Amino acid sequence: MSEVSLKHIKKIYPYTEPKKKGEAARPTNLKITDEGVVAVEDFNLDIADREFVVLVGPSGCGKSTTLRMVAGLEEISGGELYIDGRLVNDVAPKDRDIAMVFQSYALYPHMTVRENMAFPLKLKKVDQATINAKVNEAAEILGITEYLERKPKNLSGGQRQRVAIGRAIVREPKVLLMDEPLSNLDAKLRNQMRAEIIKLRQRINTTFIYVTHDQTEAMTLGDRIVIMKDGVVQQIGTPQEVFDHPANLFVSGFIGVPQMNYFNARLVKKGEGSYEVELDGKTVSVSPDKQARLAANGVESQDITLGVRPEHVALFGEESGMFHGTVEVSEMMGSSVHLHLSSLGQNVIVIVQTMDLQGQHKEGFKIGQEVAYTFGGNVIHMFSKEDERNLELPR
Amino acid sequence: MNSSLSAENRRKNILSAVLAVICVIYVLPVVAVVINSFKLNTYVKTNTFDLPRGEMWAGFSNFIKGMTFGNYPFMKSVLYSVVITIISTALILLFTSMAAWYIARVDSKICRAVYYLCVFSMVVPFQMVMFTLSKTADKLRLNTPWTIPIVYLGFGAGLAIFMFVGFVKSIPLEIEEAAQIDGCGPLRTYFSVVFPMLRPTMISVGILEIMWVWNDYLLPVLVLDINEYRTLPIHIQYLKGSYGTVDLGATMALILLSIIPVIIFYLSCQKYIIKGVAAGAVKG
Ligand SMILES: Nc1ncnc2c1ncn2[C@@H]1O[C@H](COP(=O)(O)OP(=O)(O)O)[C@@H](O)[C@H]1O
Ligand SMILES: [Mg+2]
Repeated sequence: MSEVSLKHIKKIYPYTEPKKKGEAARPTNLKITDEGVVAVEDFNLDIADREFVVLVGPSGCGKSTTLRMVAGLEEISGGELYIDGRLVNDVAPKDRDIAMVFQSYALYPHMTVRENMAFPLKLKKVDQATINAKVNEAAEILGITEYLERKPKNLSGGQRQRVAIGRAIVREPKVLLMDEPLSNLDAKLRNQMRAEIIKLRQRINTTFIYVTHDQTEAMTLGDRIVIMKDGVVQQIGTPQEVFDHPANLFVSGFIGVPQMNYFNARLVKKGEGSYEVELDGKTVSVSPDKQARLAANGVESQDITLGVRPEHVALFGEESGMFHGTVEVSEMMGSSVHLHLSSLGQNVIVIVQTMDLQGQHKEGFKIGQEVAYTFGGNVIHMFSKEDERNLELPR
Repeated sequence: MNSSLSAENRRKNILSAVLAVICVIYVLPVVAVVINSFKLNTYVKTNTFDLPRGEMWAGFSNFIKGMTFGNYPFMKSVLYSVVITIISTALILLFTSMAAWYIARVDSKICRAVYYLCVFSMVVPFQMVMFTLSKTADKLRLNTPWTIPIVYLGFGAGLAIFMFVGFVKSIPLEIEEAAQIDGCGPLRTYFSVVFPMLRPTMISVGILEIMWVWNDYLLPVLVLDINEYRTLPIHIQYLKGSYGTVDLGATMALILLSIIPVIIFYLSCQKYIIKGVAAGAVKG
C-alpha cells in the first residue's frame, strides 16, 4: 500500500528582479502574483499503489518542482501531500520513505558502487549481512554486479544511472521518484534503459513518479501521464486517452510525433445533435459519437481549429481526394515516409506506409508532385478558437 | 607567417631570459643560507658568497652549535612550532570548510556579508592590525601556544573560505540532496558526503596554511610571551651567545633546518597547491 495523493499543491517562488540592469527579466509564462512566481498551480492527483505516473511537459513547466515537493526537497507553498494517507507536508525527506533518481545521477564520487548502494541502508542501521544481500540482489537485477568495487568516475553514463537506480531500490521505498533519469544518455542507450525500467517495474513493488520532457518516454512508460504547461496541469489520463482525446490544443500538439496538423475550419450545427465541419469550401462529416458529445456539451456553430494527426491522413487518387497539395519534403523513415505537403496555404504532414497490406512497395514521391488526401470524420479533433479546449470534452 | 613565427620565438627567448634572472634573484638568498651554514662563523661576513672551501669548511659543527646554543632549548621551540602549526591548520580546515559550505549553499544577506568580509580581510595588511592585536590577544588569553591557533584561525579564514566557497559551488547540489533523501541530517551530510568531496581543496588550503603558520614570525612574536614560548623562527632570531654576540654560521644552519621540512612538504604536494588555487580562482 503506497498511495500518493496531491491535493491543491502549489509552489510559489519569491519573485526576483533581474539582477543586473539592462538584463531582461527571465522569460517566463508563469503567473506572477503578489506572493511571487507561481511555478506550480493547484496540482491535484491521486496516485494508486504500484501505479507508474509520468509528469511530462516542456522545459520550465514545473515538473521537477512538483517532484521535488513530493520528495521534500522543496517546500510546499500550499495544499496537502499525503503518502499512504499520512500528511507529509512538513516531514523531512528521509522520513517520507521515498527514493529519488536524479538526471545527473548524483552518485557519491568518493564511494565505490557498493558503498553508494549500501549508504541509505547503513544510515537506516540495517545489519551488514542484510545490506550485502540487498545490494547484491539489486546489482543482479540491474546487471552491475561486476562493477560493484569501482568508483563512479570509472563507469559509463548508462552504468552510472543503473547504480543510481540501484541505490534507490535497495531501500525498497514506498515511492520511487525519477527526474529525467534518461536525459543524459545517448539515444540508443536511452531506448535500452527505457525498456529496462519497464522490466524493473514488474520486479519491484513500488509506486513510481517519473518526470520527463520526452513524450515518447511518457507514452511508453506511464500507466497514466500528467501533461503540464506553465505550472498548470493540462490533462491527466492513460496514454491512449491522452492520444485519442487531447483535452486542448497544447496537449494535442505535445503528444504524438510528428505533430498534429491544424486547419482553420468552421463547425456547423445543422440541427439538433447534427454537426459537420467545413474546410476549404468542402464538408467533412463528423462521426456519430463525436456529434453526440458535441450535442451533450451544447456546442453551437463556430470557427474552430481542426486537428488531424499525420497518421490519420490518407492519400488518395487525384479524383477521389478532397484536398490537394504538393510534396515539399519527403522523409524516408524506413517503414513509412513522412510527406510534408504544401496545401491550403500551409504545411501539412502525412505519414504514408511504404508497404501496403499486400506487401507491394508504393512508388516513391517526388518533390513538387501533386497529391490528393482526405481524412475521416472519426479522426478529427475540434478545438475552440476561444480557449483552445477540445469541444468534445465536458466543460 | 614565417616572420611572425620568428618574432614569436624571439619574444619567448627574451621572456625566458628575464624569468631566468628573476629566478636567480629569488634563489640567491636560499643559496646564501645553504652555503653559509657550512662555513665557519668568521668567514660568513667576509666571504659571504664564496663556497665553503678549505679552511672555511665547518662541516656540521654549525648545526650542532645551533641546536645546543643559547638560553632556550631548541627542541622546545620545534615542539611549539609543530603544535601551533598542526592545531591552527586543523582548526582552519574544519571551521572554514563548514562555514564555506553554509555560505555557498544558503543564499541570504548574512551569508553574502560574511563572504565579502572574508574576501575583504585578505586585502587588509597584517601590519594594520598588529598592535591592537597583541593587546587584545593578551586580554583574551590567546597568548599561549594552545590558544594562539584561534588567532591564526581568524587570519587564515579569509583565503580558506574564499577557496572553499569556490569549490563547493562547483559541486552539484543534487549529491547533497541525494544524501538528504538517503537519510543524512546536515552534520552527516557534511562529514559523510561533502567533506570527502572537498579533499583536493583541503589539501591545497592545508599546505598553504601549514607553510604560512610554520614560517610566521611576526604574529607569535607579538602575541606570545617570548620568555616562555618561542616558536622556531623566534628562537632563531633570539639566538645569541653567552656574550651577546650572534653566531651567524649557527643561525644559518638553523634557518636551513627550519625550511627543509617546508621545502620537502611543498615539493611533494606542489600539484595539489596549483590545482586548489586554480579551482578557487576560477569558480570564486
Ligand atoms: N529557485 C527558484 N526561484 C525562482 N524560480 C524558480 C526556481 N526554481 C525554478 N524556478 C522556476 O520554476 C519553473 C519550473 O521549474 P522546473 O520545475 O525546474 O521546470 P521543469 O519542468 O523543466 O523541471 C521554471 O520556470 C523556473 O524558472
Ligand atoms: Mg526539470
